[in-house]
Amino acid sequence: MNALATGAADAINIRSLVKRFGAFTAVKDVNLSVPAGSFLVLVGPSGCGKSTLLRMLAGLEGPSEGEIAFVGQTVSSGAGGVIADAGRRNAGLVFQSYALWPHMTVAGNIAWPLKVAKWPREKREKRVREVLSLLGIDALAERYPAEISGGQQQRVAIARTIAPEPSILLFDEPLSNLDAKLRIEMRSELMRIHRATGATSVYVTHDQVEAMTMATHVAVLNNGRVEQFGKPIDLLRNPQTTFVATFLGTPPANLIGVRRLGDGLVFGETTLAPAALAAGHDAVQLLYRAEDVCVGSVAGAPSLVARFAEAAPIAGRTMVTAMIGELRVTAMADGYFTATPGEPIPLSFIRTPDAVFAATGERIHQ
Amino acid sequence: MTSISISAPSGSRLLRSGFLLPAILVAIVAVLVVAPLLRILVTTLTPDGIAAWKAVLVSPLSANLWWRPLLNTMILGFSVGGGCLLIGGFLAWLVVMTDVPGRRFLGLMATLPYMIPSFAAALAWGTLFRNSRLGGSAGFFETGGLGIPDWLAWGLIPTAIVLIAHYYSLAYTIIAAALSSVGADLVEAGQMAGAKRPRIFFGIILPVVTPALIAAASLTFAGAVANFAAPALLGLPVRMQTLSTRLFGMIETGQNERGFVLALLLIAVSALFLWLSDRIVSGRKAFVTVTGKGGRTKRFPLGAWRWPLFVVAAVIGLLTTVLPVLVLAASSLAPQSGALFSNWTLHFWIGEGGGEIAQGQAGIFRNPVLIEALWNTIRLGLVVAFTTMLLGLALAYTIVQRRGSLLATVLSQLAFLPLLVPSIAFAAAYIALFGAPIGPLPSLYGTFALLVIAASAHNLPFAVQSGRSVLGQISADIEESARLTGAGLIRRLFAIIFPLAIRGLFAGAILVFVKMVRDLSLVVLLFTATSPVLSMVAYRYAAEGFMQFANAITLVILVVCLAASLLAHSLQNRVQKWKSP
Repeated sequence: MNALATGAADAINIRSLVKRFGAFTAVKDVNLSVPAGSFLVLVGPSGCGKSTLLRMLAGLEGPSEGEIAFVGQTVSSGAGGVIADAGRRNAGLVFQSYALWPHMTVAGNIAWPLKVAKWPREKREKRVREVLSLLGIDALAERYPAEISGGQQQRVAIARTIAPEPSILLFDEPLSNLDAKLRIEMRSELMRIHRATGATSVYVTHDQVEAMTMATHVAVLNNGRVEQFGKPIDLLRNPQTTFVATFLGTPPANLIGVRRLGDGLVFGETTLAPAALAAGHDAVQLLYRAEDVCVGSVAGAPSLVARFAEAAPIAGRTMVTAMIGELRVTAMADGYFTATPGEPIPLSFIRTPDAVFAATGERIHQ
Repeated sequence: MTSISISAPSGSRLLRSGFLLPAILVAIVAVLVVAPLLRILVTTLTPDGIAAWKAVLVSPLSANLWWRPLLNTMILGFSVGGGCLLIGGFLAWLVVMTDVPGRRFLGLMATLPYMIPSFAAALAWGTLFRNSRLGGSAGFFETGGLGIPDWLAWGLIPTAIVLIAHYYSLAYTIIAAALSSVGADLVEAGQMAGAKRPRIFFGIILPVVTPALIAAASLTFAGAVANFAAPALLGLPVRMQTLSTRLFGMIETGQNERGFVLALLLIAVSALFLWLSDRIVSGRKAFVTVTGKGGRTKRFPLGAWRWPLFVVAAVIGLLTTVLPVLVLAASSLAPQSGALFSNWTLHFWIGEGGGEIAQGQAGIFRNPVLIEALWNTIRLGLVVAFTTMLLGLALAYTIVQRRGSLLATVLSQLAFLPLLVPSIAFAAAYIALFGAPIGPLPSLYGTFALLVIAASAHNLPFAVQSGRSVLGQISADIEESARLTGAGLIRRLFAIIFPLAIRGLFAGAILVFVKMVRDLSLVVLLFTATSPVLSMVAYRYAAEGFMQFANAITLVILVVCLAASLLAHSLQNRVQKWKSP
């Protein structure tokens, strides 16, 4: 059952998956596959269909069309519904609400799935002790879920899920109920557990930072579709749509709408880039990273005047947000910078745009 | 962080200025709740009282006075508790956890019987099943040629059935609420573990709702133990006594001390079981909510059983709601109580007296006593609803504001004390305290005022509970932000708290009104000829064999209750315009 050993077939293979609820289509023609041991993050805004996709992987929902295969075995399909039901697909799900059974102790919660799977008592107790110590919650074994903190509940939920040694781990926004500091801690914790178990993981989140830090593969979902799928760094470097370009990355990248005028691309009165980049389009959007926009005038670089809005120091530099009319632009300043809100400041575009997009959102390749 | 710095100084300001309200409240609660109970206890410790204890517990009479009624009461309590758990639990499971068709309809049907007074069901039962053993006219079935054995016409079994038909909806409400708090995630986590449906039901769902099951069983048990109307109407004719009918009999025949002793014993029995169940549940309170989400509930597909189970549930609902009302209505129109559907006449409603029917008595709308009783009942309901909610809100406010202080603890414990006291025993305590003049105050016995005071006191637990839930909807922030503007307590009450609370208060007041209009066990002892109320008049008619009059009056009570509920429903959406219906 160990997914790592089989090698040949992808651990998870999703083909042309569609899910409809009445007239509403939650998931539209999704195709994804990841090798064993990968950490796939499904990221997107709320309502993009990522949780529905996860529930179909878990076997809690059947697809309307298409199919899901785990290690070459079809577990769900539009024609056959849920072929292998939730308990029989060797997958574990960590719920957003943790879903701890309130009437069982921590140890009881972890042991119950093993009991259902008919593990012999000794093996069961040994495994419970093992996962308790893996998660560092040995001391809580006899406590009830309501008696422990949110972060501890989270650990119990993970321990319960990994105890039966599933080859696929599913996470439904597991960190969304934790405070910021705990979230960062649990992030590393989850990656440690992923390495320790070697299980292929699918992780749903709306937080792009989680996606960028944890994933081996990222699928950005929007309106039920996969906007882009690949390694996190590839998505960041080579976004194929404006949605991906603005959704990923910290600080957020800037999209500036320009039009062709002569042989330049012009914003207002200022020429920002050569028209050659636009390749046949009259109006395009230019992607500038925050680090490509600099506060202050730079000789030879096009510059615009913006109204200062806010500043946040980051790693010795300052992230400055300013408004050009209704357009919000993020730029970087060296050292610590501040100004009065509303004060005009010059912004210089010190590099050529990182990418060019058509007005409709798709990438224009040179 | 900020809330600490805000609340600390204002809290101390309140302590200096707001001492009056708590002091008044403590005094009111002491007089309303503590004094009668103390008084009834003290009365039974006088020489006469000691003699009564002996007569009841250790004398040749005690088998009749105490042991046999106790046995009957216990049998009733356990069978009703068990029956309600089964039926209420079944319906709750069906409505909340499955894909049965017409879930809303079934849910509504299951909550209705509690709105119908238990004596309505008892009267309907009598109208159908009464046999000729005791003389008087036979019921519908026997008149139709179907011999009804005594055990089905009178005594424990019909009483238990009628009480189950009344109280199962209480069990349903409690269990359904608990089941809907079992989030789909809990069930799905079980599915992910590979557990099959029976395993999930017995391993997860059942244990999680166990506290609710215990609460439902104990509350229906307490209800059955305290109920007066059903055993009085169906049991007394064959001398089946429960503690509450015994207690009523003692006081009615002037043996007050013995009645008081029985009242204390009844309180002890009822309180013991409620306390026991609370002990069992309290260790498990932690079950209720563990995490935020979980609004979703998992509905299991019933497959081929969908419609058969729907029919079963619908039949239970119809038998306990529509059928009794139909029987009462038909009976109130039928001159011969056995022939429900022949020779219908409006005589019992609007007929002039002096004819052959009903020994020459006039119809209920021509009977001045009844008209007075109708107004009295509505007046009682309105006044008690008002006083109860006012007191409840004030108590809840004080308790919430001073959470953790000794005062709050004492107030909330005292306010919940009447919950442990069956209403007929509570009435007995009021007779003990107010039956004779206290110092310069005249005896209140038989006055409207006494009814109001006793009823308000008895409704206190409910009032405080609904007051707290109403205040719970108003966040502390809202109140504190008003406090920051410098508004005083009274100003805040009227400008902020009252408008936000009005909807909840209104709902609570309507419930109290309905409870009062259909109450029999509290008024049965406090009622006199000068302050008649409908339920009491209906009971009197039934006891004298005028079933049609009793049934007609019961219908009037039902109509009043129904009208109040509908009124509440339609008004609620208008009172707070900023809330969408």
